[in-house]
Amino acid sequence: MADQYFFQNIKQSFSLSDIDSNIEFMNHFPGLNPGHQDTSDLNFHSFMGFPHDNINFLQLPEFPGNLENFPGLFSHDENTGIPPVPVPNISNDNNHQDRKRKSMDISTPESSSANSFSSSDKRIRTTNAAAGRGKKVKSTEKKDEKSREVIHVRAKRGQATDSHSLAERVRRGKINERLRCLQDIVPGCYKTMGMAVMLDQIINYVQSLQNQVEFLSMKLTAASTFYDFNTDTDAIDTLQRAKASEALKIENAASQGLPSAQLGLNFGYYPQLPHSK
Amino acid sequence: MKNPTTNPSSSMIRTRFAVRFLHAMKKLNKKTPAPSPYRRRFHTIRAAACASMACAVGPRKAWSRAILKKIRARTLHHYLINKSRNQQMMMIKRGNPRDEELAVGFGYGEEDDLRGLVPGGEGMGFCRLLSETAHYIKCLRAQVQVMTNVLDHYSST
Repeated sequence: MADQYFFQNIKQSFSLSDIDSNIEFMNHFPGLNPGHQDTSDLNFHSFMGFPHDNINFLQLPEFPGNLENFPGLFSHDENTGIPPVPVPNISNDNNHQDRKRKSMDISTPESSSANSFSSSDKRIRTTNAAAGRGKKVKSTEKKDEKSREVIHVRAKRGQATDSHSLAERVRRGKINERLRCLQDIVPGCYKTMGMAVMLDQIINYVQSLQNQVEFLSMKLTAASTFYDFNTDTDAIDTLQRAKASEALKIENAASQGLPSAQLGLNFGYYPQLPHSK
Repeated sequence: MKNPTTNPSSSMIRTRFAVRFLHAMKKLNKKTPAPSPYRRRFHTIRAAACASMACAVGPRKAWSRAILKKIRARTLHHYLINKSRNQQMMMIKRGNPRDEELAVGFGYGEEDDLRGLVPGGEGMGFCRLLSETAHYIKCLRAQVQVMTNVLDHYSST
């Protein structure tokens, strides 16, 4: 049923192959400034030459969500049967009004580089398909091909697509990732909690660790004033030697690729120290 | 006493910290024998623990850099106090604003508390603050383990 909706929406104006190929690339460059349009146009020129037999129409139903956002019209020289349509422009900044009116600047396609990019397009399509329809995907493959510093973010269905909200979404994603790492480290943190509760837990944990350090240093001062120091200095030397040997063991294991569990390293397990009576 | 974590990076940090801390303790014991002011000794040991942790981590992380900077400023402060009198003291006090006064928090209320807890947390964004906190927690945990072991040794011998 998604097929029919999709076909009705688009069939009259342009070929499905154009949408399929172009949508991918449009989605992958939301962060481009208008100033960069020249270079992006050049790349689009090289991408546009998709032979129709390479495009698999069966894959199209996977992207009706994205296509709804981009019912922009494309001009394609190979399809003379299509009625003339306005040439769209890539503009992300003007999208706050009407996100359906997204447009792209496309000129004559070249079929020379079609084959190389069609395979990459298929790769991207499958990764996007795997990620799910409405999910946000960072296209690192496009990044490798282009070698740009832009982070490519797909706009979620039903959300604004201007650059500010996209950047905000990326930032929120980074923060959530860091919070997940912290959640593994700090005991007592659960994913069901909100950010405020998690931050409270983290703050409590850091405070308790700092208090522990202070308490231990107090005990150490008491212990160090109590005992005889000559023996302790010798003990410290042997401890240092034990630490050094452990460190050497760790380095050897790391170079050989052994898991450190096999070494039987017991950090707290010190050798017997001599005391003088 | 078995080591619960087998992560090689954390055991490296523990080893480096232990070596430095024990060096510092040895130096302290040699310098000031037993009947010395307890409070001053306590402060010295606590500062030695933090400093050796920061040195073991290195200048790679912002929080360790902040600790080292604070300690160097403090030693400079002590040195100049011993050298001369009021003028230089006033200069230094004005020149080094305390980190807690630089709170620039907004948004969540807990964020400010976290910035106050993690050393050097004032001048960075929230995202970076979270990663620094994660590393800081790992190192604090290593520090606690090492100090516990050292203390056990002191008390057992």
